[in-house]
Amino acid sequence: MKHLKPLNKKATLVDQAVENGQMDEVVAMQVVVGCAATFDPGWEVDPFGSVAALCAPMEADLYGCSDPCWWPAQVPDTVNTYPDWNAKAASANNDWRALQSVFPKK
Amino acid sequence: MNASIIRRLGIRRLAIALCGVGLLAAAPVSAKEYLVTGVKPNGLVVIDPAARKVEKIHRIPGAGVAPGTIVPSPDGKIAYVVTNHLESVSGIDLESGKEVFRADFSSGAQRVKAMFAMDVSPDGKELFVFQSPVRLLPGEYKVEDTRIAVFRTADGVGAKAVRTLPAPRRLAILAFSKDGGTLWALGWDLYALDPKTGAVRDTHKLLNWTRENFGPPDILDVWPQFEQAGVFSTPYFTSRTDLPPTDPSAFKTGVLTLDLASGAVATKEFEDTSAVIFSSVVNPAKRDEAFSVYTQLSKIDAKGGALVKRVDLPHTYYSINIAGDGKEVYVGGTACDVGVYNPDSLDRIGQIEIPGCPDQGVASLRMVKR
Repeated sequence: MKHLKPLNKKATLVDQAVENGQMDEVVAMQVVVGCAATFDPGWEVDPFGSVAALCAPMEADLYGCSDPCWWPAQVPDTVNTYPDWNAKAASANNDWRALQSVFPKK
Repeated sequence: MNASIIRRLGIRRLAIALCGVGLLAAAPVSAKEYLVTGVKPNGLVVIDPAARKVEKIHRIPGAGVAPGTIVPSPDGKIAYVVTNHLESVSGIDLESGKEVFRADFSSGAQRVKAMFAMDVSPDGKELFVFQSPVRLLPGEYKVEDTRIAVFRTADGVGAKAVRTLPAPRRLAILAFSKDGGTLWALGWDLYALDPKTGAVRDTHKLLNWTRENFGPPDILDVWPQFEQAGVFSTPYFTSRTDLPPTDPSAFKTGVLTLDLASGAVATKEFEDTSAVIFSSVVNPAKRDEAFSVYTQLSKIDAKGGALVKRVDLPHTYYSINIAGDGKEVYVGGTACDVGVYNPDSLDRIGQIEIPGCPDQGVASLRMVKR
């Protein structure tokens, strides 16, 4: 941590944990277990460095991935925060126009 | 909610009621096979694969939109479905569509989700659901220990867990042994659990394996589809650590099989990784043979470790199942159709369109016999 300086209490605790050797090793996920634990960037490249092995078409994959919160950064979280985001769009392929952006509630 | 689909489903149910034709009740004396899948919004679909048609679409009560894991009762009469944004399981009578079982997991400040893993005991009396509870505190969400909640199916709507078992985190599949004496659980490793206590009797190491010259395998399998052969199978991906990453043969795809009768576990690589695969099913008529699915359908010699044949699919599918005689392979999940394939040629020999074209998403594709 020579080049990073903690700016708040939590970051300070992380800093101390690193210095004291208290950090757990990060291991790649094998199965999805919810929004907070999923870091798949999604919609980028396949394991072969291209796009041919991604789901085809993308719409076939949209709900299968977003319903279990596989893409929490790209698609509204229907597990907890926006449960009915796609309730009016039963078919991603046909009803995608009904899928709207979401905004935090005031 | 899509009004046209509601109208369509309502008309369909009305037509069935008026005609007095209970389609499942009309099943012949010999057991007939039906595919069961889920669709948005809150639909449970019963398909007659031989007739290439959707028999019924039942509505799952309550909130939820996207049906998840589906587990049929051993007698083929009820399907237990994860619903309500992963916070409930609903048991739907496949003949009448009536909700005959329901367990809501969350209460008060504890939010409980059931991501994927669920199975019913072979006697049909107990439902085992892997749960991830979170305590919603004023200033933080406190993640609590994962568990397997056990429900008595006879408790019907409003069922409460009769016991909870400690369970490793990250379980994605639960599968009972044929004799009901072992509850198999797939997570980072494959665990054999005591269904009475949850005690881990045995662990087949996967992510933690120590195979010389092999890196840890990666498994993404959330589709329980083992009822036909009595064998759970899943693809896995691993890499040779003694070969440079620029060597195509450094990356291997294999298939793991778990015989639910004998408890035998086997892993076998069958190709240098050349395709993404999500799930697989073992042929009940040729038990060394497996079929796998994603954007391609593959036929695999699981025992000999060889890719037999592979064809492109019209779109990506997640789930796969097979006829009891091994003569037809069905691919489903994702969109609104189930494709039917010849197990030898892998030719597409049929297709079942779900009315209204609602997405199946991640829902299971299960086979019941009535």
